[in-house]
Amino acid sequence: MNNHTITHRQLFFLIVQTQIGVGVLSLPYSLFVKAKIDGWISLLLAGVFVQFSILAMWKLCDRFPQNTLFDILPKIMGKHLGFIFKFIYTLHFSIVSALILILYNSIVGKWILFETPSWVIIFVMAFAGAYFISSTPREIARFFVLVTPLFFILFGLIIYAYTDVHFLYIFPIGQTGIMTIIKGSSDAVVALLGFDAALVFLAYTTGTPAKKLKVISFASFCVTVMYTFIVFTTYIFFNPMEIVIVPEPVLYMLKAFSFSIVERTDLIFLSLWIISVATSFISYLFVAAKGIQSILKLHHHQSAAVYIALFCALVAIIPNEKLEIVTWNKYISLVSILFSGISPIILLLISVLRKKQEKGATAT
Amino acid sequence: MTFFKKPKKLIQEQESPKQKVTSQENSSPEKSPKEQNLSLDELLIKVKEPFSSTEDLMTHSIELPNDHNKIVLLYIDSIIDKQIVQSMILNPLFETANEINFESFRKMASIDLKKQTDFNQVKELLLQSNTLIFTEDTTSFFSMVTPVNTKRDITEPDNEAIIRGAHDGFIENLSINLALIRKRLKTPKLTIKYFRVGKETHTNIAIAYVDNIADPEHVKEVEKRIKSIEADAIHAPGNIEESIEDKPFSFFPQILSTERPDRVAANLMEGRIALVYDTSPTAHLMPVNFFSFYQSVDDYNKRWQIGSFFRFIRLFSFFIAIGLPAVYIAIVSFHFEVIPFGLILLIKSSLEDIPYPPLFEALLMELTIELIREASIRLPTRIGSTIAIVGGLVIGDAVVKAGLVSNLMIIVVAITAIAAYIVPSNEMSAAVRILRFPFMIAAATLGFFGIVFGFMILLFHLCRLYTFGSPYFAPLAPLNLADLKDAFIRAPFWKQNTRPKEVHAQKMDTTNHTRKWDNS
Repeated sequence: MNNHTITHRQLFFLIVQTQIGVGVLSLPYSLFVKAKIDGWISLLLAGVFVQFSILAMWKLCDRFPQNTLFDILPKIMGKHLGFIFKFIYTLHFSIVSALILILYNSIVGKWILFETPSWVIIFVMAFAGAYFISSTPREIARFFVLVTPLFFILFGLIIYAYTDVHFLYIFPIGQTGIMTIIKGSSDAVVALLGFDAALVFLAYTTGTPAKKLKVISFASFCVTVMYTFIVFTTYIFFNPMEIVIVPEPVLYMLKAFSFSIVERTDLIFLSLWIISVATSFISYLFVAAKGIQSILKLHHHQSAAVYIALFCALVAIIPNEKLEIVTWNKYISLVSILFSGISPIILLLISVLRKKQEKGATAT
Repeated sequence: MTFFKKPKKLIQEQESPKQKVTSQENSSPEKSPKEQNLSLDELLIKVKEPFSSTEDLMTHSIELPNDHNKIVLLYIDSIIDKQIVQSMILNPLFETANEINFESFRKMASIDLKKQTDFNQVKELLLQSNTLIFTEDTTSFFSMVTPVNTKRDITEPDNEAIIRGAHDGFIENLSINLALIRKRLKTPKLTIKYFRVGKETHTNIAIAYVDNIADPEHVKEVEKRIKSIEADAIHAPGNIEESIEDKPFSFFPQILSTERPDRVAANLMEGRIALVYDTSPTAHLMPVNFFSFYQSVDDYNKRWQIGSFFRFIRLFSFFIAIGLPAVYIAIVSFHFEVIPFGLILLIKSSLEDIPYPPLFEALLMELTIELIREASIRLPTRIGSTIAIVGGLVIGDAVVKAGLVSNLMIIVVAITAIAAYIVPSNEMSAAVRILRFPFMIAAATLGFFGIVFGFMILLFHLCRLYTFGSPYFAPLAPLNLADLKDAFIRAPFWKQNTRPKEVHAQKMDTTNHTRKWDNS
């Protein structure tokens, strides 16, 4: 356990990298479909909702120090029910990993590699995932810290859009009404998912509980701000009539720019975006592998790495129609909100009501 | 002379632990000569037995004029210096022997003369360039190190030349190599430990570290790994390197090889451990990180801004050397769209008549460059320039004219080749050159996408690589902003106040307060 620990600073990057992922490209579009040009307000609201889940998650993990979600479940639910939920959670995390693969494949297939068969694209990522999770959380965290500066490049590219924006597009603010905005925020929560990886990674984090909470909360805050910035930028770049017809507004926006050294900025953006996708995928895959380890009582999660990656890849190959992907996305996202957004609160309630905690175990 | 004798003496003192090992090996049931109470002649036959057929094992009998006692010198002719024997043994012996006996000679003779009683050591001592002196008293004998002087001059290592700074380099002699280090670190804390590896070759190795700086755990680990080496023959430092490095399957060198004593001394003061070899001018440094391979002694003798700039260029060259051909292949075969409008016609016209796919073009040229490189190492310098002309001008010009390879590809390959040789360490340069091939293949199959995955896996490999328990990619992973001062840039000397964290030095503070006079 000793060389598996991560610092709370590393946890920050882990959460940020997990949260920023496949959703960033289509987020403005999916928000626009629900909440029109007030989508960015929905996103901010979602950021606030997420903070509640994070608080519950942190409290839950704080009651069971150095326990991952999979250790906590049997302790608060009893052996048998706990085992069932362990299984469900593991399945959930692997399906989310598979969903990341599906969405990434659809974008890569549409924008970069038109001819390459989709299973190749999926298996390359799955292979990378298997390689990454065959190590310790500490090494994964180090890598995540290392690739974080790439965000600044992505950011810089998006800032370039401000040479051609029309602030009038977002007015009047709040035109769609409060209810629509709140409804839209459920979609926004999906994009912010990734903080749930903390359910496992918190167990490896050193530092005081207060620091940990600050770190996760701040990570989620940063991601919310960054997403809002991106969504806001696309909303003032495209006029409301245009966004409906561009499913990946960020890429279409970048496609329009050309510099004297690089013509298609979107390809550069996409190449770097793949790393963000990979980091989310790796986090979820790691969590799933930890679940397998806990179910099968394996000594190391490493031995599960190849199988879980293979499973996700095989699942990800199944949907091949665009509509199928949309359906999968819809249902898995709904389930994710339930498992990642709401269930930490429920789990916390159960553990409080049943008075289960292991606070004293911190010393050991 | 006296200066060099110091390390020599050290060898002798340290011989004992290793000799214990050999005596265990030789623990045959036969009784020692002492117990059998042999005469001098019988004893000599006995000790010469292991060398039965070699003709350079010489005996030299002398009858002392005074008491007519016989003494016998035993040595291996090829590895001892007869002049030393003459001046250090024979001359003093005959000067004193007229009136006094051998014992008095012993008292006044050199510090190198040692009384030995363990006859199992005879073989060992002879092989370590000792001259043995046997007397009528067969219970003991005397030994003296009389190594033949086959040292080459101390010259600047060709493969690590610098513009400014010390121009001396290690040679194929352990005691001189250690002397070169000690000359730079005149501290009693500089600790040297001797080891001997190779059951037949008995290669001498020394571990050097600064006692109050180097991490004792690291020292212990290095010692443990070296002691565990079991082999008949250890020829090259490469044998040791491969035996003690952490991940033998990685492309990256995990131990820094250098022939520069100043580099070793500087690294020792940072808390690292050095391995110095007899019979090889290479010294190894550990634990090192990725960025150690990109540092050059030259950086510290330039103005720090310039040193930083060149260090940055070197690190940038890492990405060029690995990625440039891959990016070119990806662009011309997948992503023609990214080329700006002005360039597109140029590239198109250059590529149009080339019959081969870009990957093949690139592989062809990269392999040609490697061929030229390999050939120019082997050739003597006088013919070397021919290779440069044939390789560089003729091949480069002719393949384009023949229409096999495009002009742009030649440019890309040339830049890549130059970038790969910017790395100050030859081992790292080789790793970089090998790595570009998988990247080219990845780019040819998956375009930018393949390159990104390649770099991801490469970076993660670096993140999870450890050398002697310290992370290889430090200070980037784990990120340590303070240590970037000597990794990415070369901060001014007065700013380099701490030792790198990943070395686990006992003293973090370098006490660099060199600008105290500057109160402003």
